[in-house]
Amino acid sequence: MSQTVIDRSAEVKRLQRREGWKRRLPLLPALLFTIAVTQIPFLFTLFYSLTRWRIDTTDPREFIGFENYGSLIGDKFFRDAAWVSVQMTVASVLLSLIVGTGLALLLDRKFVGQGFVRTLLITPFLVMPVVAGFLWKSQMFNFTNGVLNWLIRQAGFEGTEFATKYPLASVIIVLVWQWSPFMMLIVLAGLQGQDASVLEAAKVDGATSWGTFRQITFPQLRPYLELGTLLGAIYLIQVYDHIEVITGGLSSSKNLPFYIAQRSVGGGNVFGLASAYSIVVVIASIIIANIGLRVLSGLLEDDS
Amino acid sequence: MAEVRYEAASRIYPGSEEPAVNALDLHITDGELLVLVGPSGSGKSTALRMLAGLEYVDKGSIFINDVDVTLKPPQERDIAMVFQNYALYPSMTVGENMGFALKQAKVPKEERRKQVEEAARILDLTPYLDRKPKNLSGGQRQRVAMGRAIVRSPQVFLMDEPLSNLDAKLRVQTRTELADLQARLGTTMVYVTHDQVEAMTMGHRVAVLKDGILQQVDAPRTLYNEPKNRFVAGFIGSPAMNILDVERIDDKLKIGSLDVPLTPMLAHSVSVASTSDFAVGVRPEHLSFTDGGLVGEVVVVEALGSESFIHVRTLHQGGEQLLVVREDGQSAIQRGDQVAVTITGPVHVFGADGERLEA
Amino acid sequence: MSSKTGAVVGQNRPVSFLLGLVTWVIGLLFFFPIFWLVLNGFKDELDANSTPKLFFDPTLEQFTTVTESQAGVLSFGTAFTNSMVAVLVSTFFVMILAVPAAYSLAIRPVRKWRDVLFFFISTKFLPIVGVIMPLYILGQTLDLLNTRTILVVLYTGMNLPLAVWMLRSFFAEVPKELIEAAQIDGCKLFGQIRSVILPIVAPGLAATALLCVIFAWNEFFLAVQLNPQSASTIPQWVASQESGRGNFLAKISAASVLATIPVVIAGWVAQKRMIRGLAMGAIK
Repeated sequence: MSQTVIDRSAEVKRLQRREGWKRRLPLLPALLFTIAVTQIPFLFTLFYSLTRWRIDTTDPREFIGFENYGSLIGDKFFRDAAWVSVQMTVASVLLSLIVGTGLALLLDRKFVGQGFVRTLLITPFLVMPVVAGFLWKSQMFNFTNGVLNWLIRQAGFEGTEFATKYPLASVIIVLVWQWSPFMMLIVLAGLQGQDASVLEAAKVDGATSWGTFRQITFPQLRPYLELGTLLGAIYLIQVYDHIEVITGGLSSSKNLPFYIAQRSVGGGNVFGLASAYSIVVVIASIIIANIGLRVLSGLLEDDS
Repeated sequence: MAEVRYEAASRIYPGSEEPAVNALDLHITDGELLVLVGPSGSGKSTALRMLAGLEYVDKGSIFINDVDVTLKPPQERDIAMVFQNYALYPSMTVGENMGFALKQAKVPKEERRKQVEEAARILDLTPYLDRKPKNLSGGQRQRVAMGRAIVRSPQVFLMDEPLSNLDAKLRVQTRTELADLQARLGTTMVYVTHDQVEAMTMGHRVAVLKDGILQQVDAPRTLYNEPKNRFVAGFIGSPAMNILDVERIDDKLKIGSLDVPLTPMLAHSVSVASTSDFAVGVRPEHLSFTDGGLVGEVVVVEALGSESFIHVRTLHQGGEQLLVVREDGQSAIQRGDQVAVTITGPVHVFGADGERLEA
Repeated sequence: MSSKTGAVVGQNRPVSFLLGLVTWVIGLLFFFPIFWLVLNGFKDELDANSTPKLFFDPTLEQFTTVTESQAGVLSFGTAFTNSMVAVLVSTFFVMILAVPAAYSLAIRPVRKWRDVLFFFISTKFLPIVGVIMPLYILGQTLDLLNTRTILVVLYTGMNLPLAVWMLRSFFAEVPKELIEAAQIDGCKLFGQIRSVILPIVAPGLAATALLCVIFAWNEFFLAVQLNPQSASTIPQWVASQESGRGNFLAKISAASVLATIPVVIAGWVAQKRMIRGLAMGAIK
């Protein structure tokens, strides 16, 4: 056969490009919607962050470039709030993970009423943050009538004003109470995926419970723990309602969202400055998340 | 019923230098069962997928019944495929799995039911029509995958290692059932496997691929007796053909002290050849233990009952060679015995380029 | 539902029993605050505001008070309807948008799928408190303040990243050959999703939808800021029970209980499916 071989590469390229568009198309509605709903406000915020804008005066909003960012650096309250954010997020994520994992391990066995206990345990996650804050503040932490103080006094000690004396700890306690069930669900899912034969082999090899957990179960749980950390962190960074209800914003429990709200809609009225704070928070979060997701975690690994 | 033609078809994955399938020319006649066989990475699955429309074709063309289907999507080719893992839809019953393609083609319900029941009858699946795949054994799932293909009465069946996931005994049994089924239905079938025994027992013709290049396509017997090159010779046949390094002295080929018996034509080819670089291939059944042959020690005896394969390590000035010798029935030879091996059958001579010289 | 099946030779019965007991105790302790809340809902203000009592004369007074419609005050009925609409409609939209997006990112994905996923998740880094002003202004300009629409839109935007993330990993679990088989059998995109993918990922869909419902139902800040009056949701209704004078502990407890029941029931019913959904492939 001396005829020339048909070179299809041009056609193939064309088909691949069309294929590429067919693949992208289903993504577009969600992508466009998200861009519209989140990026437009974001751009506004970015713009406001470059202005001086006070709601309480009749001064017009004026463009001041990066001056807000400059004042941010010197703002001690911002630094304090940032530190509270870090403490609050890290503590609640970590503690929820630990408690949640412990609960999952306890639940991952057969015993009477297992389903019922699991139902009891997930309920805190389903409760509204404002309700959770309210019930802990007025019914658990309350100095006069709270259950915790009642118990403490029964044991012969003096009661404490939890919410005022230990504001950060109080908020963290409520956050952990609410989010442990979420972590528990994720870890339970991970435990379900365990290979029974591997566990049996470990038993035959004489592994202790702790040894089995540390060397077999834990590594297998890692992706689940990472997912829990990611999702938990995303929501726990934004905590606001709890702080409002439990401590009213006492400074040692005032995290960045609360501080920003205080400076804008909460009476501070300096919207330009508050916007700058928000932008800084976003940038910092993106950097941290980038490091976390791409370097440390396998969550974005390609499975093909 | 259809004939299939690959014309210089190539597939080059973006970013890679070598084509996965390189200028494949293959003409499959109507009703033929053609097996594509080769080691991993030989391109056999890729070639099948090019026919299915699951891979692009970068050069050349593919025809089904003289229709150029080269860049048509799978839905438009009227083919059916059986995957290695069966790819059964887990949420549907066996009946629904088998009828799914017909449903997509908008075949009316009654007609669909009839065709599904007919296919189920052929494959002994009638009692399982209402079960879900997860409640079936491996062998049953394999048959459902077959049923799904049969129901469509396609022009071509495409099989991608359909028996690999079955246990050995079931594999042998299903092999013959499959070949029988194809003969009865008379539909053209392109069958991919890495198992050369499967290839040899099932195919009307077998196409051997290596590194994307077609080595040889012939009836099984021809492949066995007249392998075109060293690779095919070593790939086809189990245990593999013994391939030996030989020395050329004058116009003769010698292994140690043993003269390699050459036909007149081979002797002539050897004498006129410019190189001295040859390899000789001898099948295990063409070697025997007689005095005066190549001396060696028995290292392994494979006693299969109906025949025995004896592995002998021979030592000579040329070096060390491991030979496999076949004996009928049950051998008295044992590991450690000192034996002498001679060539008692046809010999294949391969040149430096691996091509077999005409005998 | 546990990964440990049956009895194993030599299993330590007493330890097992003890662990079971410990789990029960912890479960009850965890649940206790909620139990207490429900209890307080049935007390009158006097009982609720004194030292903790387990036994008292129960009354439905609080429940009736909070559910009765009063002029000028957000009623339970209105708030409930508003919440239902906002939550169900937004979750519906989230699913409609997220399912095709997950297909794009999981089945024969676009090359930059990781970046796209990261973008989606990164939209949740923006503190709501920071964008409330632009949102308020936009809402005002579009005349959407005090409507359910604005909440639907924002809740969809709020939950969409989570749904895309989770659904993508569920879709990625579907074996590639199944899609190819469906193609050979004649399915185009929509057919593939409907007949092959959705039945497989159904538990994952349920888990995702439930999470969206929970987060949307419990959302407070946006509702308060953007809908101070007529279209307010349940969380705000609860907060509004706080009256200036007198004690309101029992009243809010009752209100809280009513507000929480729908989501709690949904969560209780769907928990098994949630775990199964997460186990299926929230991780990949």
